[in-house]
Amino acid sequence: MQSSPNTSAATTVLDARDVEAGYAGKTILRGLNLHVRRGEIYALLGANGAGKTTTLSLFLGFLKPSAGTVLVNGVDPFGAPADARRQLAYIPENVALYEHLSARENLAYLLDLARQHADSRSIDGALSAAGLQPEAFDRRLAGFSKGMRQKVAIALALARQVPVLLLDEPTSGLDPQATAEFNRLLNLLREQGVAILMVTHDLLSAADVADRIGFLNAGQLVEEVAASGDDRFDVRTLHRRYTELGA
Amino acid sequence: MSVITRIAREEWRALFRDRVAVVGLALLTLLMLVAALNAWEHQRNANAERARYQAQANHEFEMQPDRHPHRVAHYGHFLFRPLNPLAAFDPGIDPYTGNTLFIEAHRQNSANFGDVRQSSLLLRFGQLSPAFVLQVLAPLLLIFVGHAALARERESGTLRILLAQGITGRQLVLGKLLALSGFALLMLLPALLMLAGLVASGQAAWQPSLLLAAGYVLWLLLWSLMVVLLSGLLARSRDALLALLAVWTIGVILLPRLVPDMVSSALPLPSRFENAIHVQREYLALGNAHDPNDPTFAAFRESILKEYGVTRIEDLPVNFKGLVGFEGERLSTELFERYATATFERQAEQNRLVDHSAWLSPTLAIRRLSMTAVGTDLTSFRHFLEQGETYRYELVQRLNRLQSEKLRYADDSNPNRENRISHEHWQTFPRFDYQPQPLADTYRQTAPASLVLLVWAGLLMALTSLMGARLGTTRQ
Amino acid sequence: MKGILCELRLILRSRLSVASLLLLFMLAALAVLSGLREVASQHETLARVAPLNKQDLASVETRYPQDANGGYPAYYSFHNTWDPPSNAAFLALGMRDVAPYMLRIRALGLQAQLYEGETFNAELALPGRFDFAFVLIYLAPLFVIALLHDLVSGERQSGRLRLLLAMSDGKRLWRRRVALRYGLLLICLGLPALVGALIAGMAAGALAMTLAVIASSLAFWFGLSLLVTARGWRSSATATVLMSAWVVLTLVVPTLANVMLNRSIPVHQGVDLMLAQRQAVHGAWEIPRQETMQRFYANHPQWQDSAALPPTFHWKWYFAFHQVGDESVADQVRAYRAGLLQRQVWSDRLGWALPGVGAQAILHRLADTDLQAQLAYQDRIGVFHQQLRDFYYPYLFNEQPFGRQDYASQPQFTPREPSAYAFQPSAWGGLALAWLLFMLGGWQLAQLRPNQQ
Repeated sequence: MQSSPNTSAATTVLDARDVEAGYAGKTILRGLNLHVRRGEIYALLGANGAGKTTTLSLFLGFLKPSAGTVLVNGVDPFGAPADARRQLAYIPENVALYEHLSARENLAYLLDLARQHADSRSIDGALSAAGLQPEAFDRRLAGFSKGMRQKVAIALALARQVPVLLLDEPTSGLDPQATAEFNRLLNLLREQGVAILMVTHDLLSAADVADRIGFLNAGQLVEEVAASGDDRFDVRTLHRRYTELGA
Repeated sequence: MSVITRIAREEWRALFRDRVAVVGLALLTLLMLVAALNAWEHQRNANAERARYQAQANHEFEMQPDRHPHRVAHYGHFLFRPLNPLAAFDPGIDPYTGNTLFIEAHRQNSANFGDVRQSSLLLRFGQLSPAFVLQVLAPLLLIFVGHAALARERESGTLRILLAQGITGRQLVLGKLLALSGFALLMLLPALLMLAGLVASGQAAWQPSLLLAAGYVLWLLLWSLMVVLLSGLLARSRDALLALLAVWTIGVILLPRLVPDMVSSALPLPSRFENAIHVQREYLALGNAHDPNDPTFAAFRESILKEYGVTRIEDLPVNFKGLVGFEGERLSTELFERYATATFERQAEQNRLVDHSAWLSPTLAIRRLSMTAVGTDLTSFRHFLEQGETYRYELVQRLNRLQSEKLRYADDSNPNRENRISHEHWQTFPRFDYQPQPLADTYRQTAPASLVLLVWAGLLMALTSLMGARLGTTRQ
Repeated sequence: MKGILCELRLILRSRLSVASLLLLFMLAALAVLSGLREVASQHETLARVAPLNKQDLASVETRYPQDANGGYPAYYSFHNTWDPPSNAAFLALGMRDVAPYMLRIRALGLQAQLYEGETFNAELALPGRFDFAFVLIYLAPLFVIALLHDLVSGERQSGRLRLLLAMSDGKRLWRRRVALRYGLLLICLGLPALVGALIAGMAAGALAMTLAVIASSLAFWFGLSLLVTARGWRSSATATVLMSAWVVLTLVVPTLANVMLNRSIPVHQGVDLMLAQRQAVHGAWEIPRQETMQRFYANHPQWQDSAALPPTFHWKWYFAFHQVGDESVADQVRAYRAGLLQRQVWSDRLGWALPGVGAQAILHRLADTDLQAQLAYQDRIGVFHQQLRDFYYPYLFNEQPFGRQDYASQPQFTPREPSAYAFQPSAWGGLALAWLLFMLGGWQLAQLRPNQQ
């Protein structure tokens, strides 16, 4: 709805400007500029080592940029990590939660860690909204499939009721049906005005849900395409370009 | 075979790329050298000191002036126990027992001045010696460097690749075992060189040194097997590490303390205090050897008078007081022997119970083997005390004989007369010459411990081989 | 609160943690139990021995109901002395297994009686006692390591670390986890000690100090573990480093220190003392007896007007030369004791660097089972020996007849009061540093970022 191309800076939730960053003397990002707005799904594509996870680490405050600025809803995540993290939910690749706890217990525990008060009604609501069957609420995660775990992680993000969602390879390892269901959930969140940044290899899935797709190569955003308007993307062209970049 | 050595060589190379292994080995070797040097010097000083004290005591004994023989019997003598040079390897109970024995007439004294009462409680943390390094620290280093030998291959998936190359599980396990035991041998090397040095310089006999070396080789082999076995059985290297550390803690630290403590409360020793009272009571019941008119000794007097065919003790050709002393010493020594033997037997019983527990914790077995081989165990100490007692008995009886032969009864019973015999007599007394235990005894005493180590090694070998066979067949 | 319950659930659902906690609790309880049993058996032995010695004294009385000058009664009466275990002795049995806690003393030369050993099986004493101090100093650190070595790496290796750290600033997470583990271990160690202290009737002050020692030792190992854990290495690397630290701090350095201590403060074996005392005592038979008496009177002028010695044996001469023998080695005795105390002082100083040694020093001081306790008992015996001599001397030197009523008035030994606790600055200092380390470890952990992937 509000994904018009000329949105004002006030609605920009995730903001990276001229960012350089890396680990132990090795520079990975070289002048990254990235903006994600409210109610927008942004897919960041790139080959291994292009800097996708590093970008997420910057927004999570795990990493200090050596140059440039990073802001989450106006907050510097490295300087005030607690404030920044209160604004965002994060689902890492290979969702790993506590195997010995049930779905409900996982949520209750992790929400408590995030200092968020959650009663059992809102936890159950989040689990249902994420599409988990009620009979699975009290089962331990040790017996869950990958798709079910993903749902618990989404439920966690839903229950957080935060303006930003960061996703790391969310659909890797999911079957097509689970992927479709996952995309439906993302759309739901977008409608609530959440800014979503997902890093992925999976162009098809990204093309399905993303409003914009950015291509990361050697630490820089080399191309950005939109799903609507004049520069609306064509998946086949994109795929060709993407494989060229990855090569 | 070449497959096995190839695997071993690869593992060996991995070991030497591992900082833990290299630094650990260097530190262990350094510690071993410090321990060996210190123990050796300490032992040499102690022996020099003991020799000096023995010389001083001998000198003082021989330089006594003319004295009444019974005075000399109460002046007594000090005996010092020389240590086996191998004791530098494992001081054992030496700091706890002391090695000084004061002997005198009608008394059996304890050895006094063990270091333990003269040290701060630091000693209770253990003593730094090559034995301590090999018994306690070496297995730990083996665990650190070896716990991942097989678990690592499994975790990283290389195990499947290796098996797919046609290597059998047993070959893989044998290769890893070969590498780890090679590493263990490297840890043992300084100790072996030290033993070889002691043998080559003629300070130690080769048989007990060989026994000692074999014992420790077996001990470290046992640990290499244990490490490889658990590394193969457990899915993750971290689990293998924790399991091995638990085994080490229980087997090397906990049980060797817990078992003796339980044994000493299950089989308590009578206190010296009580024994002293009981001995004294029975001793008084024997009659007073200092009093020739004591009723208990009346029968003895009759038999002596009959033997010499006289009616009055004054008519005896020998000094009756000396004979009474002789008889009294014989009776009291029998009494002391009875109590001392009971205590020794009780201690031996305690130690046997501990030795049986070696089936649970082979640490107890290697400790037994080590202390017994170098002669710093309780049995060997008892051997010293018993030799000291024999020497005491002969010394006192020799003095009693002198009293009966060199002094006249009439003079000896005259309270107004100084009765002394020439000091030259003391100079002809034989000196105390400690004879270490015969080797056959050492072999006999270490046999059960060796058996425990062999059975444990055999058992672990069987299990490891079984594990190796399974490694090749189950899905990984 | 809910979060803490959740953390607790997480720990309780991990088999390794539950097994560790239960095992530590059982070991601590077992140690306390066996300590209490050992103390009870020492009390029993003392109770058993007292009447035995009384009978023995009574038999001296029957044998010598009337004595001209008390010589025979003094020579044959062995008096019972004892050193009962303190209320805190069950925590740290210390030297009470190798040094006697009861001795029979008579009015003859003290130096020949004081160093009598106890009957003990050296092979059983060699590995040390299994008491609470052992559990706290040797075993508890291993359990700390078991519970903390994968605090970070466990989360990292199972892939949760990024998610967890993205949920909050991490401080809350780690504070909770560390506090919970600390609390659980403190309960496992403190509860058995507390129950034991209540059973044994330990004073509140001593109990408070014991709990402080437990809490501080744990703090040290927590601090060290957190520092290493916060490096973010793999679980097995963390465990290896921590175990090595444990080996160095509790096995290697104390034994090395003991070696250095014994070398730099050589205590010339008490053998010298005994040899010298024997020479002095037996030498008396060779010198004119009057000479011995003069030496005795020099230090005991109140008896110098005693009648001259008869030409035959007289007990007063016998007791005098024993006393002179003791006095002639007084300097050596002082030097010997000074050496021992010097060793103690230096080993206490190690408490600054080695909290295990510090904890050991404090616990054994509280339990009154250390070298000082042994020396204090010897001092008490010395006082009693003086009382004995003061009692017998008037009979001996004034030719006073010794009858049945005199037996009844012989001095009775009263055991020493457990020595008042003296503050040990280095041990407590070391333990105070432990809390600093704990805080440092916590701070390091709060700085942790999940960077390297």
